[in-house]
Amino acid sequence: MEILALFIKFALLYGIVLMLVALGGMFSERSGIINIALEGIMVIGAMAGVVASIDLAGAGLFVKVAGSILAAGVAGMVYAFLLAFASVSLKADQTIGGTALNILATAIAMVIAKRVNSSTGKISDSARLVYSYEGFVYNIGGVTVNIFFIVGIVLLVLSYVILYKTRLGLRLRACGEHPQAADSLGINVYKMRYIGVLISGFLGGIGGLAYILPANPNWDFKYGIAGMGFLALAVMIFGQWKPFKIFFAAMFFAVFKSLADIADSIPLLSSLRWPKEIYNMMPFIASMIVLALTSGKSRAPKAEGIPYDKGQR
Amino acid sequence: MDDYVIEMLHITKTFPGIKANDDITLQLRRGEIHALLGENGAGKSTLMSVLFGLYQPDSGEIHKDGKLVKINNPNDANALHIGMVHQHFKLVEVFSVLDNIILGAEDTKFGLLHKEEARKKVEMLSRRYNLMVDPDALVEDISVGMQQRVEILKMLYRDNEILILDEPTAVLTPQEIEELIQIMKGFAAEGKSILFITHKLNEIMAVADRCTVLRKGKYMGTVDIKDTTKEELSRMMVGRDVSFTVDKKASEPGETVLSVRNVTVPSKLHNNNAVKNVSFDVRAGEIVCLAGIEGNGQTEFVQALTGLEKTSGGSITLCGKDITHATIRKRALTGMSHVPEDRHKHGLVLDYTLEENMVLQRYFEPEFQKFGFIRKKKVRSYAQNLIERFDVRSGQGPLTIVRAMSGGNQQKAIVGREIDRGTSLLVAVQPTRGLDVGAIEYIHKQLVDVRDGGGAVLLVSLELEEVMSVSDRILVMYEGEIVGEFDPKQTTVQELGLYMAGARKQPQFADAAYIKKEGGDRQ
Amino acid sequence: MKRRILSGLNTILAALICVFIGLLLGFIILVVFSWSSLASKGDPYTFGKVIEQAWSLGFQRILLGGFYQLNWKIPPGNQALRSEIAKVAPLLLCGLSVGFAFKTGLFNIGAAGQYTIGAFGAYVFALVLGMPWWVCLIASMLFGAVWGAIPGFFKAYFNINEVITSIMFNWIGLYMANTIMYGNGSGVMYNALESKNWKLSIKNPGAIIPDLDVDSSIKFADKSTFVKAFTNPATIGVFIAIAVAIVVFIILNKTVFGYELKACGYSKTAAKYAGINEKRNIILSMAIAGALAGLGAGLYYLTGTEQWNPQENKALPAMGFDGISVALLASSNPIGTIFSAIFKSHIATGGPKMEKTLFPSEIADVISGAIIYLCAFMLLFKNKLAKLLGRLFLSGDAPKGGVK
Repeated sequence: MEILALFIKFALLYGIVLMLVALGGMFSERSGIINIALEGIMVIGAMAGVVASIDLAGAGLFVKVAGSILAAGVAGMVYAFLLAFASVSLKADQTIGGTALNILATAIAMVIAKRVNSSTGKISDSARLVYSYEGFVYNIGGVTVNIFFIVGIVLLVLSYVILYKTRLGLRLRACGEHPQAADSLGINVYKMRYIGVLISGFLGGIGGLAYILPANPNWDFKYGIAGMGFLALAVMIFGQWKPFKIFFAAMFFAVFKSLADIADSIPLLSSLRWPKEIYNMMPFIASMIVLALTSGKSRAPKAEGIPYDKGQR
Repeated sequence: MDDYVIEMLHITKTFPGIKANDDITLQLRRGEIHALLGENGAGKSTLMSVLFGLYQPDSGEIHKDGKLVKINNPNDANALHIGMVHQHFKLVEVFSVLDNIILGAEDTKFGLLHKEEARKKVEMLSRRYNLMVDPDALVEDISVGMQQRVEILKMLYRDNEILILDEPTAVLTPQEIEELIQIMKGFAAEGKSILFITHKLNEIMAVADRCTVLRKGKYMGTVDIKDTTKEELSRMMVGRDVSFTVDKKASEPGETVLSVRNVTVPSKLHNNNAVKNVSFDVRAGEIVCLAGIEGNGQTEFVQALTGLEKTSGGSITLCGKDITHATIRKRALTGMSHVPEDRHKHGLVLDYTLEENMVLQRYFEPEFQKFGFIRKKKVRSYAQNLIERFDVRSGQGPLTIVRAMSGGNQQKAIVGREIDRGTSLLVAVQPTRGLDVGAIEYIHKQLVDVRDGGGAVLLVSLELEEVMSVSDRILVMYEGEIVGEFDPKQTTVQELGLYMAGARKQPQFADAAYIKKEGGDRQ
Repeated sequence: MKRRILSGLNTILAALICVFIGLLLGFIILVVFSWSSLASKGDPYTFGKVIEQAWSLGFQRILLGGFYQLNWKIPPGNQALRSEIAKVAPLLLCGLSVGFAFKTGLFNIGAAGQYTIGAFGAYVFALVLGMPWWVCLIASMLFGAVWGAIPGFFKAYFNINEVITSIMFNWIGLYMANTIMYGNGSGVMYNALESKNWKLSIKNPGAIIPDLDVDSSIKFADKSTFVKAFTNPATIGVFIAIAVAIVVFIILNKTVFGYELKACGYSKTAAKYAGINEKRNIILSMAIAGALAGLGAGLYYLTGTEQWNPQENKALPAMGFDGISVALLASSNPIGTIFSAIFKSHIATGGPKMEKTLFPSEIADVISGAIIYLCAFMLLFKNKLAKLLGRLFLSGDAPKGGVK
């Protein structure tokens, strides 16, 4: 029972993170922009959220929780703006721009984290931030649930509605499939793509915070976000760029990801005495197998990755 | 005083290096069908894009109902009730017909999409103009003709009064063209005004009231159709007399070069076969033409023939050798050259220089390499020779990056490269698409020269005029099957059209296991 | 000819603009940090003082890199310079790896994983099999090649984007190599006392790449500056790396093989049409890219200056990603890569020389991150520059009409 509770805790933890970030990727790619910068967006979002939670520690739980989540989302958006600017306005190669932002994110996060540490009088030559997850994590009937579970489900439903039931969603999807068609109908492709990327920044930022805050009492930003953003991209592809499929894909990957954390508590697995790295490897191997199996059926938005140039219509 | 609904006065639009529109005036009367005629590259599409708000003119004015207007984007055009069907349809394939129609003009209720009224309006319009389509079908699942109806419905849904149709007949069968003409006349009778872009003279004579002619970006004049002839229009368009026939002797077919037996090719998009059981021969010294409406398996067949895709059944023999499963390189060395359908995708490495592209099929031959190193001087002199012989014009000769060249010169480079290889079989897919009349005549002559030199030519074309004038034998393809074989001297465009539309099938093709007798007994 | 020179000049200028803006950004950050540190002390300060501090305790040291506090007389006064030189080799090879793949139309974001596996290969041959340095180098290449070929295989046969696959295999490679090297604390390669892999100088000195300090009859202090600069950790590895860059340049620009690879890179479909086996070429390209990155790791870890820590498994080696910036800055030109690698190594050495209490050394990483971001739209700079240069130098001889 204890193992099951632990398992649910981690599976939900990772599942919601992967889902949030993959949903972010979905909005961006559905508008036509490949968002490989999700990893970096998560780092920036996590950093901003953690710093906000430290600053708001004395302001009451609700303010602290809401403030940190908002800070993470907004910081993610601001950072994603850099991607949108490069790939939409300047028509840069989206993969290269995204990679640059990933590399830059870790450096920025370390500079800021060190700054925070030195200004609070702590050792300044470490990027390890210490914080409290009080208010984010609750124990319900022996199962640890964190606030991001609720946030995630709300955002999932909201994502579905926005994408399929609103004018914005229809236009956004049109821009990812056939921007020339959208343009000829008076839709501002640039604006739609900016919106897509900014939404992805918002979700990615919150996802970053959701990954590090509820599960760790401190985090060294030297490590960025350890590949979660890239896993989320695989989740998005496995989920066929569709919200509810992404949810199930995220849960599937989360099971593999949680094995590393709970293997020691499962008698069968712990008796194997496998090193932790084997479990760490599993979600990546699983994603390769899944991608290889589903590659034939993959239906990516047709215009993704191609800068839209008004002059060439 | 004429009742002009739209006047475009003295429009000039320059792109880097080219004056696409040079002081052009076009006046559209209310309720008329007005043709805009010109060769590829004459500036028709640019002018229409200016009217539709996609481009801003450098100078000139647009008047709607006599008042000066400024059209900055398609929204402005729409507000003035101007609508456009583009040559390449602008439809989102994974959307439903209804979603495509409402896109950009959606109704919402409480922030959510509200489609009920739109659906009713679309159904009403479909009935009224005889444009039946299933609003819930996905666009990728419906035929090209249906897609055109969706495009027209898009304009009607927006209550457009001025309808621009850019080359609307290119993708239709002769019978579908007839239907479209009736629909256009119906619109005109209701007082809608139609601008109709084309380079096909027959259609202008059949449907238009007046015609404005452009040549190389310049205004050539506007004429009443009832006062003019095809010959006069073509002279205005090209600037000289044009012969509509290709000079050639009767063909003297020799031995069989290509033999195709029961070839079947699976479809990429759907779960059926794109090419079904196709069998025919091509002999030395003849031009065989594969005719048909776009999307009836010609593309897939050629890709299987040239090795770009795999067959799932049947056999292909070239010069007596079985090449059914051979690699592309093997086929090329056995004696096949290929002018591909898509010159940008297949025919050229656009970011390579012209000289590098000229040896694209030969760079590995000892003439051009030594110990694995490219012999640049040999490549240069070879390319220079081809450039001169085939009159390929470019900014920096052999060092021009091909991307910077005009479409016509790119095509000449490919045709030159493939013909010069002197192979037994030349496969040419739409070799004249997008070219001006001069280049078309030139390439037709080259094809005939290859034939007269004893080469076998398999020509795939969508242009019936080309099919009729160039080929020695015509095979019509419909839904992946060959449904008829014709001698161009003994058939008509109308007859071909019926076969192309699938309305008829010659009896010997009704049996799927048919294998044509050796020697070609229909001559 | 004139046009060719202009186009080369244009590329170099565009790169310099990226570098300049990146450095400027770094300086601005330093100024902000400098200002806030002075302000927090409460003492009166002036703007000049803020700038002065940002310059002398920060920016100047970044710019000086390995030359900061250089003193040939007192060893190890030139240690920083030598380690700067040592790092040029892996940076250059990772840059070549990414750049080579770019030229063939692939984005090798997997250099980090190939680098990891290359280091692993070098360690296996050096510490387990006791091989000499050159065998270890070949091993690092082959190991890297295998790790590069895998994403190539997935791309060729399953049409999965190499970016995603490479990233997955970065992590798989890191976990795998670390698991084996660590061996639950008792791995042959793992030295539990130092929590790192064994030093080559202890276990197998023959695996250390030779340097120029070979003549033991002369006292070190009396040796030439050149020899002093190229003494371990700086080794002949740098020369090997430069030689490889030249070979890559020749392959890409002069050979039939290069013609085919680039054709695949520019247009997969046109290459296929031309009868080029594009699947084979994709795998080969990625294998070569992997071999280059793997060799980079070999050239670095076989200097013995730093030991791999197999317990460090939350972050991939930064070298692989630095390769991306090195390649982008050089527009993937192998010769240009030599210079961009030197530049990158230079400022990376300078970063930690800054006054730690004032400026985090990662500001150097921010600078290079910003430079890659700018490189992403270098094309834009290039187009603008091309117009400007064209107007300045080519106004007279623009082609008129068509030239045959």
